[in-house]
Amino acid sequence: MKSKIITAIIKKDATMAIRNNLILIAIIGGILFSLIYYALPSEVDDTYEMAIYDDGSSKLMSILGMSGGLELRPFDSLEGMMESVEGGDYLIGIHVPKDFDLNISEGIRPALVLYFNNGIPESSRSTFEFIIGTALETLTSGEVPDVLEYEVLGVDTSGQEVPLRDRSLPLYIIFALMMEMWTISTLIVEENALGTLRAVLVTPATSSDVISAKSLVGFAYTLVVVSVILLLTQSLRGDALALLASIFVSALFAVSLGLFLGSLTDDITGSYIYVAVPLLILIIPAILIFIPDASISIVKAIPTYYMVNAFDSILNFGANMGGVLRDVGLILALDVVLFFMGVFSLRRRYS
Amino acid sequence: MIIKAENLTYKYGDLVAVDDISFQVGKGEIIGFLGPNGAGKSTTVKMLTGQLNPHKGSIEILGHDVVKEPKAVHERIGVCFEEKNLYPRLSVRENLEFFSDLFEARPDIESLLKKVDLLKWADDKVETLSKGMQQRVMFARSLINDPEILFLDEPTDGLDPISADAIRKIILSEKSKGKTVFLTTHNMSEADMLSDRVAFINEGKIVALDTPENLKLQLGKRILKVKLRTGDGFKEEFLPIEAKGTPSRAKELLEDENLATIHTQEATLDEVFIKVTGRKLEQ
Repeated sequence: MKSKIITAIIKKDATMAIRNNLILIAIIGGILFSLIYYALPSEVDDTYEMAIYDDGSSKLMSILGMSGGLELRPFDSLEGMMESVEGGDYLIGIHVPKDFDLNISEGIRPALVLYFNNGIPESSRSTFEFIIGTALETLTSGEVPDVLEYEVLGVDTSGQEVPLRDRSLPLYIIFALMMEMWTISTLIVEENALGTLRAVLVTPATSSDVISAKSLVGFAYTLVVVSVILLLTQSLRGDALALLASIFVSALFAVSLGLFLGSLTDDITGSYIYVAVPLLILIIPAILIFIPDASISIVKAIPTYYMVNAFDSILNFGANMGGVLRDVGLILALDVVLFFMGVFSLRRRYS
Repeated sequence: MIIKAENLTYKYGDLVAVDDISFQVGKGEIIGFLGPNGAGKSTTVKMLTGQLNPHKGSIEILGHDVVKEPKAVHERIGVCFEEKNLYPRLSVRENLEFFSDLFEARPDIESLLKKVDLLKWADDKVETLSKGMQQRVMFARSLINDPEILFLDEPTDGLDPISADAIRKIILSEKSKGKTVFLTTHNMSEADMLSDRVAFINEGKIVALDTPENLKLQLGKRILKVKLRTGDGFKEEFLPIEAKGTPSRAKELLEDENLATIHTQEATLDEVFIKVTGRKLEQ
């Protein structure tokens, strides 16, 4: 391999890719995603709904009712309320026991049970606890009695509150990666379909030079597009090492898969089918960001799930390298397998 | 010898595309490789240029074994392909610059473009050019590294007569500089005009290899073509020169007051090809 030859192929491929409509789509897509990002709500709704079941007629109900930004939804039965909270209709339900006010005034400490939905963000949980604590303080006109008990319905996965626009960030990144995969695959297929590969291989350039150059072009493009999306959405944040590592392994994934898919056919139109099917599958984990109730057990078999997880954890939950090590490691392992598959397959085609 | 091919054989499955052929080409020589479609021309060129490895036999180009040292050969050869294989979204200049970057040589691209009459279109994208113009770009590309051997596969295909003639002149000019040319063509008159030697290939075998003149003399029929006036026009008569009765008949005709014209006619390469292979060279 000669660096001069690889540089020449990189320069040519970069020009070809820029003049390729797919790159244009990727760029427009990046800008469009950034616009969608700004169109989505940047803040969460301040009004909270609380399910409540009162065995008696506690004044706590009216005190809570007067709290700003809180809407009470009374239930006729404890079971009904619990079911509704567990199903996700409400983030919190509160059970006020019979004679609660009387018992409190007599110094008895009856349990006031708060039922949380397992997906309740930490910030919402704290807010509810603060509101109820304040209401109890008002009811007792003094110190808050230690009566609160907590129960999480379903598996406790409570986290932080993240605005929709930030939650959607991994989708844009994954989409950009998939578009780059398409571009790389097209560059490879086109070189074969146009017959230019034959012309290149009767010069001092070798098939290794061609594969290296295309990998580098694809890798650079992917890094640029992902970085542009993060810059445009002002989302270059979180642990730098973790973010860089995640971008690196994800870009390598797009390149490796692009190389492999590009080696499957010489026909440009046919290559779109080879790319479109995996693209549609790989985008699923990113789309599921918007459907939190969807089952994720099958999605975990899709490699991009771990990318979504890594970017989401770093950008939205402040995860560091240790927090995404498992995701990054899994993607990297897959990268290695895919890269060698791609190179092997291309070498066979080029020989 | 610049090109030495010995016992070359190549098979596609059970089909023998090239069947044990041997030939040599000297420095500064133009060899025309002629044969119908599927005869094995392209497979031979692919083996000579290191695109295919022969299943049997050996090839030495400029003193290097093509199979073992393909890149040492590629540094010093130029290839003009039959099918158009340029980068359509790059300009003419960008195409040539890219290929020049793949070699050590730094060619004068402007003068190369001038040579093939494309200077005016240097910055136009290849996809906007006509087929003939693209052919000229491909020809220019084959000269980019000032090669010692040119492999030209139908270099004038799709060109108008003036452009084709210009390309032929460049080929002859390269020969005058001592370059060797391996020319594949369907055009018999072009092969006749340019080639020092011509090889006919049919069903994977070289069936004739000699200078065009020798082939025509040895294998063609020379005839006397006679035109006689008749009452309302002319009639033609053809006399094979080697035939027994021709001298006496020629004498009679020369004394005939109705004789209009008489001249000898050489066999063409086409006729020689048909005689050798029993089939016509498809255009």
